Amino acid sequence: MQDPSARESPVAHLEFKVAALLLLMLLLVCGSVAYVMYARGVFEPTQQLVLLADDSEGVTVGMDLKFSGFPIGRVRRIELDADGSARIVVDVPRDQAHWLRQSSVFTLERGLLGNTSIRAYSGVMGDPPLEGGAVRKVLAGDAAAEIPRLVSAARDLIQNLTALSAAGSPLSASLANLQATTDKLKGQHGAMGMLLGNDQDAAKLVAALDRTNALLARVDAIAAHADAQVFGADGAVSQGRAAIAQLDAALADARQTLEKLDAVLQEAQGVASNVRVATTDLGALRAEVEVSLRKVEYLVDEVNRKWPFARDTELKLP
Amino acid sequence: MVRRAGRIGGFTSRALHYHVRMSPTTSRPGALAELGSLALHWLAGWWRIVRLGGLIVALALSTNHYGRAGRSALFRHIYLSTAPNLLWFAVLSALLSLVVIRIVLVTALSYGLSQYALEMVVRVLVIELIPLTTALFVALRCTIPYGAEIAAMRSRGDFDSLKIQGLDPLRHEVLPRTLAGMFATLMLASMSCVLTLVLAYLSVYGFTRWGFEGYTHTVGQIFEPEVAVIFALKIVLMSLAVSLIPVASVLYDAGHARPRSGVEMRGLVRTFLAILVIEAASLIGNYY
Repeated sequence: MQDPSARESPVAHLEFKVAALLLLMLLLVCGSVAYVMYARGVFEPTQQLVLLADDSEGVTVGMDLKFSGFPIGRVRRIELDADGSARIVVDVPRDQAHWLRQSSVFTLERGLLGNTSIRAYSGVMGDPPLEGGAVRKVLAGDAAAEIPRLVSAARDLIQNLTALSAAGSPLSASLANLQATTDKLKGQHGAMGMLLGNDQDAAKLVAALDRTNALLARVDAIAAHADAQVFGADGAVSQGRAAIAQLDAALADARQTLEKLDAVLQEAQGVASNVRVATTDLGALRAEVEVSLRKVEYLVDEVNRKWPFARDTELKLP
Repeated sequence: MVRRAGRIGGFTSRALHYHVRMSPTTSRPGALAELGSLALHWLAGWWRIVRLGGLIVALALSTNHYGRAGRSALFRHIYLSTAPNLLWFAVLSALLSLVVIRIVLVTALSYGLSQYALEMVVRVLVIELIPLTTALFVALRCTIPYGAEIAAMRSRGDFDSLKIQGLDPLRHEVLPRTLAGMFATLMLASMSCVLTLVLAYLSVYGFTRWGFEGYTHTVGQIFEPEVAVIFALKIVLMSLAVSLIPVASVLYDAGHARPRSGVEMRGLVRTFLAILVIEAASLIGNYY
């Protein structure tokens, strides 16, 4: 009896090929397991951060703790604290822990569609780093919690709008008046009739406008005459211009005369200064003459004393 | 075929019986009995499959089998069930993965949900679709033909000749094929999953290494311990199902074959049913 397996054709290097297949599968499986473990952070040293929240709804194990949009930690456990608040235990890899500081703030944000996120904010990076095992209170923000307030405010607004737009409300009365006003606008006298309220006043205003137009026409004619009188060929302006030219010529003559007078004055000033100097010298000269005359008189007296000659002793001064 | 003429309600009728169990039941207890018999038969079939699975596992873990002859047969079937399919199944799964990834990315982008596209690709393809398609592929390509081989061998009298030689047909023919089917499923599933992960990264980030951290973070978030265990269990159970059920159906149902459905077809239906149940259980475990 033949072994059924003996009928099949042999495979060359069978053991080597099967070993290669086994090795390949081992590599694939072990590599996949190692990659998943690496992705889960099994090989990363971590430190613990505990966040306390009043309500941990929406927080799930495995959720990220984000810093500037980058995940720097993962929620490992959620449990109740002794006082009933929620303790969220977060694992932060040590190579990412430097982003957390003592002054870091942690928020738990719930979006409108229920997506919850935990975020960390570090305003002062110079502060000491957050130590492992730190416990921090998380600030919660819930967009959905605003909805009841929003609905209530919307309800009040709708009620007010309903009151405003009711049949006997001031708004409806104002709108009716506005309609009457627009009807008057479409009337014969248009905006003027609306402003004045009745057609008689509007007609008066029109008559006043006509008279004003006539007055303006007359004023215009007067202005034309005045224009000719002032700016015409023989007008005041041209005559004044001629007078100004004559005055200008007279002023030029007067300037020349004044220049001559100025020269004369300068000569007179020189004469006056010479006279002043002469007057000053004349005084000194007179004093010297007087001294000389006294000396002469003394000498004459001495001579008369010594020689009694009778002479006329009167001196005549110049 | 038994022919019986009877009078029912004044009319003459003939009832043709092709099988004892096909006899028309005119009373409720008879219908219930037949239903109960069918249910028992169905459960017995599944029990035989589970029993065969236990036997196979016990034999596989037994070192007595791995003598030279046993190793040779095992290696041969492992090679023949895996190597010829490796390359072109890789190409096929890569093409399918690329198409699905592209569809998911474009759809997510059009709805402004591109930040969820990668997670969806990994969950849908790697965790759900790849193991399912691999199991179906191995079932259609390897294990159901193995079942047909075993049926042919038994009908030729090869099993009897082996028994005469003092060899256990279960150990000599069934075990290598079953183990080869399991190995092929695990191998092709591993390779396809790794290939799909690589293709997903390249489709989302392109040929750059700067997306590796974000990609790894996303994969780490998806593969939580529970998900990873369920994923591994699913692949192992599916490999067991596609390897055992076609063979068990051939071994145990040959004597009870119905004319309307062959043994292989029943094995195929059972395999699909088992895969469906495993998939449903994994979905419940992951998402419920």
